[in-house]
Amino acid sequence: MIVKKFKLPSDPYNIIITGVGGQGNVMASRVLSNMLVNRGFMITIGETFGASQRGGAVMSHIRVSSKGTWSPQIPKGKADVIIALEPIEAIRVLAAYGHPGVFVLANTRPVYPVGVITGELNYPSREEIKLSLQELSAQLWLIDATDQAIGLGNPILTNIIMIGAFAKLGKLPILLDDFIKVMEQTLTGDKLEINLKAFTLGMEALET
Amino acid sequence: MSKLLEVREGSCHLLMGNEAIARGALEAGINVAAAYPGTPSSEILENLAQVAKVRNLYVEWSTNEKVAMEVAAAASFAGLRSLCVMKQNGVNVASDFMLHLAGSGTRGGMVLVTCDDPGALSSVNEGESRHFARMIEVPLLEPGDFQEAKDMTRWAFELSEELRTLIMLRSVTRMSHASGNISMGKLQDQLRRAEFRYDGFILDPNEGPVLSAPVAYKHGLQQGKIEKARELFEQSPFNTYEGPEKPELLIITSSACTLYSREAIHLLNLGGRVGLLKLGTTWPLPPNLLKKYLTLTGTILIVEEVLPFLEENVKIIAAETAKEIGIKTFYGKNDGTIPMTGELSPDLVVSALSRILEIPYAAIDPAYEKKAQAAAFFKAPQRGLAFCPGCPHRASYWNIRNALTLDDRQGFVCGDIGCYTLDIFPGGANTLKTLHAMGSGTGVASGFGQLSPFGLDKPVMAVCGDSTFFHAAMPALVNAIHHRANITVVILDNSGTAMTGFQSHPGLCINAMGQEAPKVDIAKICAAMGAKVAVCDPFDLPETQKTLNRLMEDEVGVKVLILNQKCGLSPEKKAVKKYDVHVDENLCIGEDCGCNRLCTRIFRCPALLWDKEKEKARVDDVLCAGCGVCTGICPQAAIVKEVA
Amino acid sequence: MAHQIMGQKELKEQVQDAGLCTGCGACINLCPYQVFYHDRTIVLNPCDIKAGRCYAFCPRTPVDLQALHAHFFQESDLTPEIGPVKAFFIVRAADAEQRKQAQHGGTVSALMSLALQEGMIDTAIVAENQERFLHAGVAVQQPMEIWERGKSKFIVSPTVAEFNRAARSDAERIGVVATPCQAFALAKMRLKPELSSGDNPIDKLKLVIGLFCGFTLSWAKLLDLLHKKTGLDAITGMDVPPGKDVLEIYTEEGVLVFPMEDVQACIREACRYCIDTTAEYADLSVGSARLSGNWEESRSWNQVIVRTDVGMALMALARNSGTLEFHDVPTGNLEMLKKAAWEKKRTALKNLVEKSGSADDLIYLDARDRLLADLKY
Repeated sequence: MIVKKFKLPSDPYNIIITGVGGQGNVMASRVLSNMLVNRGFMITIGETFGASQRGGAVMSHIRVSSKGTWSPQIPKGKADVIIALEPIEAIRVLAAYGHPGVFVLANTRPVYPVGVITGELNYPSREEIKLSLQELSAQLWLIDATDQAIGLGNPILTNIIMIGAFAKLGKLPILLDDFIKVMEQTLTGDKLEINLKAFTLGMEALET
Repeated sequence: MSKLLEVREGSCHLLMGNEAIARGALEAGINVAAAYPGTPSSEILENLAQVAKVRNLYVEWSTNEKVAMEVAAAASFAGLRSLCVMKQNGVNVASDFMLHLAGSGTRGGMVLVTCDDPGALSSVNEGESRHFARMIEVPLLEPGDFQEAKDMTRWAFELSEELRTLIMLRSVTRMSHASGNISMGKLQDQLRRAEFRYDGFILDPNEGPVLSAPVAYKHGLQQGKIEKARELFEQSPFNTYEGPEKPELLIITSSACTLYSREAIHLLNLGGRVGLLKLGTTWPLPPNLLKKYLTLTGTILIVEEVLPFLEENVKIIAAETAKEIGIKTFYGKNDGTIPMTGELSPDLVVSALSRILEIPYAAIDPAYEKKAQAAAFFKAPQRGLAFCPGCPHRASYWNIRNALTLDDRQGFVCGDIGCYTLDIFPGGANTLKTLHAMGSGTGVASGFGQLSPFGLDKPVMAVCGDSTFFHAAMPALVNAIHHRANITVVILDNSGTAMTGFQSHPGLCINAMGQEAPKVDIAKICAAMGAKVAVCDPFDLPETQKTLNRLMEDEVGVKVLILNQKCGLSPEKKAVKKYDVHVDENLCIGEDCGCNRLCTRIFRCPALLWDKEKEKARVDDVLCAGCGVCTGICPQAAIVKEVA
Repeated sequence: MAHQIMGQKELKEQVQDAGLCTGCGACINLCPYQVFYHDRTIVLNPCDIKAGRCYAFCPRTPVDLQALHAHFFQESDLTPEIGPVKAFFIVRAADAEQRKQAQHGGTVSALMSLALQEGMIDTAIVAENQERFLHAGVAVQQPMEIWERGKSKFIVSPTVAEFNRAARSDAERIGVVATPCQAFALAKMRLKPELSSGDNPIDKLKLVIGLFCGFTLSWAKLLDLLHKKTGLDAITGMDVPPGKDVLEIYTEEGVLVFPMEDVQACIREACRYCIDTTAEYADLSVGSARLSGNWEESRSWNQVIVRTDVGMALMALARNSGTLEFHDVPTGNLEMLKKAAWEKKRTALKNLVEKSGSADDLIYLDARDRLLADLKY
């Protein structure tokens, strides 16, 4: 296959998927990684879940390599791409793993921390978030993924839309066919169909 | 189809560390697996349960870790291969049996997989299970990557049969919950038949009864097995060295720290200066191997989580062989080069190396870091853990706190481990005042319940989950009842081992393999023990609170209130909204006198938000689970529910 | 002497934690934060509103008595001992059968029923004995429902809490049977203090019948006292007969008598700081009568102080309709009442000084208040 010879922008290429417990972080990292394994890459994923699922911030670190296994924790300042299912989580991750050359894809829908709900903490405005993310990244894409997922009938598809958007970014060789191949392993019929729609919507979101 | 059933040898799959361990066990041809769920270990048995039918396994979620080890041991005694799995603190629970098992020895290959949680990412402790291997005298293996997680598991069964002892394989969160490419081995067919021989000569390890007595004799045998393991480990392919022939510094490491160390060497570009000795067999250590590599250099850095287990054992060998290898300088936990608490990371190893070798390293450009830190501080409000939308515990603790407040005698709650631990976080009601091991809420309460003659006049309450009840709360409850402790025990029955992902337990009518099983009734058990038992639905706020107050005011003996309501994340409830909930903005009075945002300021459901612009409450449809509990707390009846 | 209105935190510190809470219920049912449990006001959750109705309406937060008097009463009616007096009567319900349901002369029940019948009010709020000697205010619309709840209560009932609820329901004209502290709370509502938020439908209050009150008992302490002698279920009633210095508990098996010194130990702390025995802020106030030292005779009569025009109108209705039976007022009777009330005021002020540690600090009262000037405490 041609893409097997694809040269990674860096090796390992480091992706962080971040969000809030319950947003489908783990599933997103699995789907993305399985597409890459099928393309012949060596993948290491490090995940934080368990208690953190209960309203806490969750992160998946994905290391894509043609050489071997890497640490399941990406070293500080070494993320190449951040995919945020929740916008302020992108800011939080940048503080630890960002650098001026990082690309950020962030869903715009907030999930408010309990401290914000009680009124003790402030949640920044959409504009403030945008400015921060722009300042801290080489390029930023804000995507209304949850709104689009609701449009498809299920907000849980947010993660697939975000993965679709990342695929379109072209940093790694991922096509719709790769997605289909992975999803067909576990899904059929309507469920497969709606996931493909979500992935495609994500790809389109990056074009506009 | 589960990847674990892959039959093509050498095919490559992305597996989680826990899946790799499960696959390793299948490749070893196990028959029996038993465990008690606990993050980060749970997926091992879950994956085995999924393939139980196809692979002809018996898989169970045991009531606790000790029972799990006993169940697995029986299979070994009958000549089968068996696996038991637990998280770090589970080994403490199992350790009594483990001590005797080490004495009696095993027959069929038997492996204990323990998944430690350095940094307590999903625990309320960061206990070190490795010390049990040395204390109880059983061999210890630690895989250094995902492929090894599988391969060492398979090998551990062979080793167990060769040595006739339990083998302990220790993983950590960053191994168990991380994933990597794994090349599959051969799935072994199981041709063994269970047979338990017991009427041979009393000391016959194959035909006699399985005993830890006569103790001195059996203990001697056990130590002989450790000696044999020491010799075998000298040649183990799981102990590897990479680096220059004459390194300036030698890192000795194991487990996930191998990956951190390797990455740190890469980041500092020290491949030509630093050697990496990765040990897979960490107890007993092979002395000749250690001697060989210790000879290479005078500077040694030991990288491990959490306590200096490896460090101390290496230092013993270094001391014993000092005449031959010379005096070494050791860096590690004891001198503070590596933190003694919390989990490690590539960055922590980098910082250790850069200090020892005096190499400057900045992970992030300082100007960028400053900006990013400021943005995180001002724009990314802390995300405190909270009960999920629809969680029965929020309602239960709402009732508990209200009942304690109404009672007005400064009552408090003793707790233990489960989602209900989250009461201590900002999203909780902060009624939990003691928090320890499984079942300890009831045990500690039993003790507090005896202190009124000494002046303790605060009412004592305990909380306990349904799975925890069977695990370790029952003996504590018996104790409290027999000794007439004046306590109220609240059993938060959410129909599953929720925190770890809905594993079954004896209170349900299904077992790990999905078969129908007799349900053991918690209320009947408590009543039969002699407690005064009441049952409520925590979503019925007034009734639950009233019942709690009534029980607390009854000052004689043990009162048990069972709060029945399924977890909002349970397969039955997840994604099924019972109610559509919304806020009638005409009725909501928000911050005015008369409400002052009770729903968002105090009740704190992640799905119930405060719209700052409108100054009204709002339900987030995406997050709302539709339990409808919030409709009962709004003083204006502005939160409205309709059957969905 | 305008006093600053504060919030829940200060209310808790200054009143509940200071042992001053009367349990009147004025801070209850306004919001979800204060609730009544047994005979206590409980802060269920913290509220951070700076100036709340709970604080404004509480009868034990600082108050300007002169302003209250000026607002409600005619200067010429005022007496230093028992507040305004327009008229004084000894009366009882005319119907002897109904009187049997009452504590003494049945005057309160008769007047409240009359007010309902005549349409002066559409809802009456009275205290009701619930389980285990705990009480609650209930809103009723039928005269019969008043008679069923006629007996005296020795544990506080959060009656104003029920007013707070009823005033925000369909009720339009509300009458309340109130103890002195409850009448005082209602009077503070009637002053309509300026609040930044929250409604105050006090204009629905059309009639307050006050009850003479010497003290109430702490529920927990009373239970301890009774537990030694009888079960709660056996009790049918209780009374403190004038002059006898005992508490009588009536049970199916007879009368239990507790010496007053035992009972004193059970008195709710807040009652020690109360300067009002006769419910001065009512339209009319009712207590048991004292007739020539004969308790059995006195027992079936009440004394009534009429304080306002509303009270006068109701008494006129009662006389004209034959609802009440009138007795001659014995000479010196009113003076005797004044003397007793005066003593109670002095004792309360002494207790306040003892509590604060300073003669200048009367806690919720103002030492400079002209109305308190003559009381040598």
